[in-house]
Amino acid sequence: MRIFQKTNFNFIKHRKIAYAISTILLVAGMVSLFVRGLNYGIDFKGGSEVVIRFEKPVDVGAVRAIMEQAGVNGSVKQYGMDRAFLLKTDFQGDTSKLKALISNSLASRLPGNPSQILSIQAVGPSIASDMKMSALKALAAALVGILLYVSVRFEFKFATAGVAAIFHDVLTVLGLFSLLGGLFDFMPLEVDQSIIAAFLTIAGYSITDTVVVYDRIRERLRGQKPSDYERIFNESMNQTLSRTIITSGTTMLSVIVLFIFAGPAIRSFAFAMFAGILVGTYSSIFVAAPIVFDWQTRSKSPIKFRGA
Amino acid sequence: MKNNRFKLILIAVVALVSVWSIWPTYRDYALTQKLKSFHSAEDSLKFAIDNREAIEQAKDKSLKLGLDLKGGMHLVMEVDILDLVEQKAWNKDATFTRIMADVKKESAEQFNANVVDLVAAGFKKENIRLSRYFYDMRDSDQEIVNKLNGEAKDALTRAREIIRNRIDQYGVAEPVIQTQGSQRLVIELSGVTDEARVRRLLMGTAKLEFKLVKDSETLLRAVQRIGSTPLVAPAANAVATAPVDSSVTTAPVAAAPVPAAPAPQAAAAGVKKLSDVIGMMPNGQVFTPEYARDQVTAVLNRPDVQALLPQDTQLLLAAKPEMTANGEKYFPIYLVQKTPELTGGVITEAKATFSAQDNQPEVSMSMNDEGTSKWARITGANIGKQIAIVLDSAVYSAPVVQSRIPSGNSVINGIGDLNEAKDLEIILKAGALPAPVRILEERTVGPSLGADYIRAGMYSLIWGFTAVAIFMILYYNKAGIAADLALVLNILVVISVLAGFSAALTLPGIAGIVLTMGMAVDANVLIYERIREELGEGKSLRMAIDAGYSRAFSSILDSHVTTLAAAFLLYVYGVGPIQGFAVTLMIGTAASLFTAIVVTRSLFDLLVGSKFMNEKSFG
Repeated sequence: MRIFQKTNFNFIKHRKIAYAISTILLVAGMVSLFVRGLNYGIDFKGGSEVVIRFEKPVDVGAVRAIMEQAGVNGSVKQYGMDRAFLLKTDFQGDTSKLKALISNSLASRLPGNPSQILSIQAVGPSIASDMKMSALKALAAALVGILLYVSVRFEFKFATAGVAAIFHDVLTVLGLFSLLGGLFDFMPLEVDQSIIAAFLTIAGYSITDTVVVYDRIRERLRGQKPSDYERIFNESMNQTLSRTIITSGTTMLSVIVLFIFAGPAIRSFAFAMFAGILVGTYSSIFVAAPIVFDWQTRSKSPIKFRGA
Repeated sequence: MKNNRFKLILIAVVALVSVWSIWPTYRDYALTQKLKSFHSAEDSLKFAIDNREAIEQAKDKSLKLGLDLKGGMHLVMEVDILDLVEQKAWNKDATFTRIMADVKKESAEQFNANVVDLVAAGFKKENIRLSRYFYDMRDSDQEIVNKLNGEAKDALTRAREIIRNRIDQYGVAEPVIQTQGSQRLVIELSGVTDEARVRRLLMGTAKLEFKLVKDSETLLRAVQRIGSTPLVAPAANAVATAPVDSSVTTAPVAAAPVPAAPAPQAAAAGVKKLSDVIGMMPNGQVFTPEYARDQVTAVLNRPDVQALLPQDTQLLLAAKPEMTANGEKYFPIYLVQKTPELTGGVITEAKATFSAQDNQPEVSMSMNDEGTSKWARITGANIGKQIAIVLDSAVYSAPVVQSRIPSGNSVINGIGDLNEAKDLEIILKAGALPAPVRILEERTVGPSLGADYIRAGMYSLIWGFTAVAIFMILYYNKAGIAADLALVLNILVVISVLAGFSAALTLPGIAGIVLTMGMAVDANVLIYERIREELGEGKSLRMAIDAGYSRAFSSILDSHVTTLAAAFLLYVYGVGPIQGFAVTLMIGTAASLFTAIVVTRSLFDLLVGSKFMNEKSFG
């Protein structure tokens, strides 16, 4: 089977449209980041989360009312699975009191519908601030590490454009989380540790497609006249289009399976990965290579290829 | 050809080692299923005894499941170093208390600051040398900071050992207890059913003290002096008129132990003063009703209230209430000497039993030589007086000393139930924590949610593999089969490395494996696309394969290195289950370099030229 067998898209000609789309995506994301901010999970915000599951279906409003009357101030939401609810409240050092309060009030108010506390997570503010710092350090270190690696492996212009594409991908997904955070019941889209894991994986994986396109461009660019660059860039991108999309496609298959089957705890992660891979594939074709092209045509100095 | 033989042997070895490493996991599963299949308890017990060794061996070497899949508690606790510093200080005065209060506020805001440094800075700001309160007068500030830091480090290690002791005695399989940073402990306990009890075991400082009880006249005078203290914060002291008699000692006291304070309903209306909730009995006992207990305890802990008491004394509440004839509960209050006669450090043995007289749970203790001789001297000198047995600032009992006790035995009674007595036994034997501990983070997953997670993880693995494998065959024909075989080996390697290094599999870890499956075949996609391209240019199959592998390699390496770097950093900076994701992603990505490249290449080398392979094999 073959998809994208012999394509002949003029990517370079339409690159301005892609730049505009990327700019809109990034600006929208940034504005949302400043206006709405990020929806942090308890890992980074601190607090307590309790997952309660009932034996029979029950209305979320009823559970909310019972919790309010019991003096548990916080939010109650549907949690992924049927008949399960997620209660969020302030951090408590001693969760046994909270647990007793919840199970007692539920047992007395909903006697015909036994419930079970499935999990409790409580994160204190000091731990939350620590985890936030660690996450920032990991992200920063990953970006610096990848920048170093790419700049060792590729010529300066390629490396810079590649890293710009990574930032583009991570920031777009971050903006998406800010825009969509808290809109869906089936996935909270809160920024927690698993989302940081997704960002790091996106940062590491996003370069994959870029490298494939780059390798082809470099291979074909050697000894060519600058006037032929546009044609060579376009041909290289068309030649690698199939593999760029298939590699992303197989990973996408995995991510979709995770989104469907791995449960609510993984769903936000899978969504982040999905968006990240999509944007990453797009950016390697429409951002990374065109930036190199624009930069190269504007600069006087020819590309100094490494090696023979 | 020789080179290829070496590769084939290598692949066989990797496959065998993987299977060997996973075998105990399968055995463990099979044995557990078999145990479940028996209809009667006797049969399964007999089977368990007959195959005990095999079962234990399999369990020991099988793949460990993380807390989120198995159910259990993950806790991060902090040892209160500030409390420790306060313990080390001597001749504490008002200035000291004030500075320490400031430092406490500061340390609550700066999470990662070293507490000892904060203390040092606090005293420096006021131009007070640390040696005024700590250690030797001649020590410089730096020396004292060093000493205090040493104490803090020591306290953390001791806290870890003591908590390990307690957990071992309680009985949790494979507990993980580690120190983290300068004042934290990370504790992981799997399969805990009674969280409340575990929390009590972990947090219980079990500070046991024997304190002299002051006579009832001193007690009455002390209560009188603090009686006018408002129950709530001073600012809220708006109502001056009390609903009932304002002074306990001047009012005629009821003969029966009926609380002199108003009923709980009235309390809500406006109890303002301490004396309103403290009553007295003709025998000189002072008490507070149950509903006012927390308020009274809070007031008695206030420094301004404590300052009104006689030198070196404190008021303590009983641990358990006493019951009146009509069922009302009230807590006796004792005035005791603040400096203990003896502390729990001398306890060598503790045993939870039932008392001979009233069949109530109690804990009997024996002391070491030093404690025994001290205890004999103390009891000998205080015959006819009361000595309070105080545990974590609550009076458990205050027996009157009948005679000198030379044996070094003592008893704690007034304990709620046998479980509590047993926990107390464990805590006393393990020793008291050097400083109080606080829970900073807790993650508890119940076993039923863990089972859900396992099911979700299994579905993801099966469907992830199916989707990727079918796609590869559809798209790349026979070469897709080779990639799928490599993928199977890749998954085997990931699981076997996890099992071999006793790393636990978590739900994010499973997500990592599923994601790896999608990424591992990327290498094959790149190679196969290149081979198709070379074939399209008219090269022979063998040449196309050669060119495909060698030209695609650099792209594959680049993408693997960046993914590995990201996963590694995630492992270094991540916590708990996320590390599980990082680990599987790292192993999977590294292994796919071998499986996706070497394994498929060897298969092609083996089959090229045979009837199984031709130009159409790459789809």
